[in-house]
Amino acid sequence: MSAAQENGKVVMKLADALDKLAKLEQANKLPEADDLARRMLAAMPEHPHILQLAGIVAYRSGRVQEAIERMEKSQALAPDVALYPRNICEIYRGAGRLDDALAAAKRAIELSPEDSRSHFNCALIHYERLELDEAVAVSDKAIALDPEFAEAHFEKAEALLLGGKLKEGWDSYEWRFKLKQAEGMLPKTEKPQWDGQPLAPGKLLIIGDQGFGDCIQFGRYIPWAAMLAPQPIIACSGELLPLLSQLPHIGKVVTRWDDAGDYDAYIPLSGLPRLAGTTTETIPPSGYLAAKPALVEEWRARLDRLAPKGKKRIALVWAGRPTHKNDKKRSLKLSQFAPLFARDDVVILTVQKGDQIAQAGGYFGRAPLVNLGPEIEDFLDTMAILQHVDRLVTIDTSVAHIAGASNVPTSIVLPYAPDWRWLLHREDTPWYPNMRLYRQRVPFQWDDVIARVAADL
Amino acid sequence: MRCCQSDSAEWPGEAALALLTPKAEEATKLFNEKKYEEAEALALAVLDAAPNQRIALRVLFEIRNAQKRGKAADALGARLAGLPGNAGQRAQANGHYAQYLIGQARYEAAIPFAAEVLKATPRAAQAHHVMGVVFTETGALEAGERHYRKAAALSPVEDGMVLGNLAWNLKQQGRLTESLALYEQALALRPDNMRGTGGKAQVLFALGARGEAEAVLDGALARWPEDKMLRLLRVMADLAQDRPQAVLDRLNPAEPMVPPELLARGRAYMQLGQPQEAINAIAAARNIQRERGGLSFQPEALQAQIARDKAYFTGDRLRPLPKAGPGAFMPVFLLGFPRAGSSLLEQLLAQLPQFAAGDELAPISRLIDAIPGMLGNQPYPEALDNVLVGDAAQVPDRLRALYEAPRGALARPGVRFITDRAPGNVWHLGLIKLLYPEAPIIHVLRHPYDLVLANAAQDRRLETNAHAGLPALARYFDMQAQMLKHYRGELTLRYLPVRYEELVRDPDGEVRKILDFIGAESDLPGGFGLNNGAVPEPWPAHFALRRPVHPNAAGRYQAYQQALPKLFSEVAAILDPWVRELGYEEPTP
Repeated sequence: MSAAQENGKVVMKLADALDKLAKLEQANKLPEADDLARRMLAAMPEHPHILQLAGIVAYRSGRVQEAIERMEKSQALAPDVALYPRNICEIYRGAGRLDDALAAAKRAIELSPEDSRSHFNCALIHYERLELDEAVAVSDKAIALDPEFAEAHFEKAEALLLGGKLKEGWDSYEWRFKLKQAEGMLPKTEKPQWDGQPLAPGKLLIIGDQGFGDCIQFGRYIPWAAMLAPQPIIACSGELLPLLSQLPHIGKVVTRWDDAGDYDAYIPLSGLPRLAGTTTETIPPSGYLAAKPALVEEWRARLDRLAPKGKKRIALVWAGRPTHKNDKKRSLKLSQFAPLFARDDVVILTVQKGDQIAQAGGYFGRAPLVNLGPEIEDFLDTMAILQHVDRLVTIDTSVAHIAGASNVPTSIVLPYAPDWRWLLHREDTPWYPNMRLYRQRVPFQWDDVIARVAADL
Repeated sequence: MRCCQSDSAEWPGEAALALLTPKAEEATKLFNEKKYEEAEALALAVLDAAPNQRIALRVLFEIRNAQKRGKAADALGARLAGLPGNAGQRAQANGHYAQYLIGQARYEAAIPFAAEVLKATPRAAQAHHVMGVVFTETGALEAGERHYRKAAALSPVEDGMVLGNLAWNLKQQGRLTESLALYEQALALRPDNMRGTGGKAQVLFALGARGEAEAVLDGALARWPEDKMLRLLRVMADLAQDRPQAVLDRLNPAEPMVPPELLARGRAYMQLGQPQEAINAIAAARNIQRERGGLSFQPEALQAQIARDKAYFTGDRLRPLPKAGPGAFMPVFLLGFPRAGSSLLEQLLAQLPQFAAGDELAPISRLIDAIPGMLGNQPYPEALDNVLVGDAAQVPDRLRALYEAPRGALARPGVRFITDRAPGNVWHLGLIKLLYPEAPIIHVLRHPYDLVLANAAQDRRLETNAHAGLPALARYFDMQAQMLKHYRGELTLRYLPVRYEELVRDPDGEVRKILDFIGAESDLPGGFGLNNGAVPEPWPAHFALRRPVHPNAAGRYQAYQQALPKLFSEVAAILDPWVRELGYEEPTP
């Protein structure tokens, strides 16, 4: 028995209570965990491990400042416990306090130099600080301690790719399929991964792995693959089907593994750049997707009715999928685009989808805004709409790739440490020539980014 | 009531009822002799035996009405009206009950009973007259006009009361010149028609003959010096012409005052820039309404409607539903919390040849009653799902045609747009989306503190009784703002917000912005501006009270906040987030 009755109260051993708290947190039972943490803290406000766990629960409940206060106190009470700085460095990183994050990560390594996770956390922070050589070096240390540490390999890949070292990066990038979140992305098969050698027609299965944006971006390699293995089968989600079906020289496009048929080898779409030996100079051109003429015409007429004439049409996307690992970094609130809205000469056509579309209901800016999201059925609608705008302003999300792939003039706003594909220190991208990149100059600071976008319209 | 619990199938037949007639007549006699207790006891005894005894029911109805036991009187009156009988009996019972409801200003409730009278006696002028009253007072102006005209035609002699009421109906339709001519005719026949005299003064005022209107009112007040309605009309004329001191002089605080008078004093003090006195007068009015009239904020029914509409009207649900095609004209929906300035905007737009002012005529909300009948008798809004099925796809077009029918008369040559200022539109943007998927929606914003302040001083009943006080107004504002936010997030609307503060500062610029947005000719006619009278009839009712925009109306709340620092403390938690979201600066703490 771990609990006993005493004067009508349930009394639990500390170790049992800590165990219960940890299990509640791991089981995502956050309100219950929060309640237990509060009660434990009321009883033992100076216990470092209670403070530590309570901090994690607070963080996961969205109370970042409270989490930091609890965890800092925990660390002060037990300064030699390596786990505490290892944990808090991640919280600092999420809160944009990168100096504090790095100091904590280094302290964790100092206390536990054999802990591969501490080195990995440190690599993540170096990436956020754009200290890419350090990120690679620390990732290597983590890998040396644990050669099968897939996240560390992947982090190394991202740092190399972001630094423009594509050829080196592609190899480490292959570790992405060993990441926990990659489960189910590839078919359960004995067939080999394609090595780039010629295959008979219809015998290559190309898998639209990763997110919509990645698939659209790497879709340009499918014609190249089809030269070696004609009429490849494309397996992708239903949302991508109407887009990838447009590509030339392909075979059937399926949305279920069972429909893929008899193939000899498979390749994830995101593996094609490696096979093609891509460098920043050899990226296949964009313009490989086009909107459907009938839809283009339909939206032309509709937008002519909906949008006031004589103004620049600016399409806008301000938020991505909230479950994306970097969504906090890349997504904005609609209201943060205020400099755009202050202009008299534009009309804003939002092509935002998902829950964040509700923010359009609270828009009262000077520029007229038409919330097109509710009438967008799929990516084909989005692509057709984009044919009628002067420019798309977007965060790093799938719509940016749709615009890029169909050569729509686009301004993309990027976090300080962006996804690797946007490279560094340049305002253009070899992936999409019609795209202009607006980078954060300070992590998590969007104001000047949006001001620059608005001024350049 | 005992007899109310009985089953009508078990009620006695005519023969048994006849046996009880002497007892019921005795109860009537007792009532007439003012022996009310005995009359009540006897009537109850008769009704215990025969709940459908017509005479006893009438006696008990009168007693309950006199006792102000409203629910019991309602039940008795309705039962009496519903009893079978010959045409004369049915007409009498229904007519009596309809008049009872009209006497309580329950016009909507009176409609079915007035209709029964008409069906029983279709050639009776009085039946048409009563129908004219209930339709006119519930906003069905065209139907009201039709019945008044029928009443006038059926009447053996010219009836001054009918003509006076018809004139009021036409005034409500904005047909002021016709209305004035009818008033002249009506008052010639019945110079003692006090209400008609007040109505004529209002028409004159609306036509711009303000001096003449005041002379009519002054003459009427000389004849009926104690009449509060006439005096209030006179006060309104003063208020509309920025003569606050005259208002205060006319409404002597030494006399007991009714809430409309106190509110008029409040508005006069507002015009004088005396916050403390204004708020005192308004508070006194609302106290009386609360304590004597039971006025209280009642949001529950509206909240339930909002919850239902929010659940139904989502982007995913509406996207596949067939929408109506293009109509005979393009409505322009003018949204705005009461006192935000949508009437001011309508007055401005009405000066442009391509616009007609539709005001609140035949609003979209009226269609809701028709929808279940067209779509499988399911409740609204869920019934709208049925437009996906077969021929029901045409229902949005049929609904649009129903909406357009009464408004079509406004579409004189050259008119492309008809404004719709119905206050309920804010709740029905989902339905509007089905009928007019691309109609412009112009939303007049105003600082929320100014809005609650302006409404607090108005003698105007608001939905949910939101006029009960500042907290109620703030909550009502919040309900509207939340609803609108939902629709704007869920639907693709052709929506443009404009600000009252900008509209009064630069009407030309703001109207041009709206015209650009709508895609209309943006040339403004000569003389365009606030308070321009060059607008063709019909005129909406709010045109009558056009007055110069008070220079302090924008941002007035600041002076009140300074003079009465706690005035907005109860509403700040609700309104301040909206102040920020709407782009107004934080109120000064």
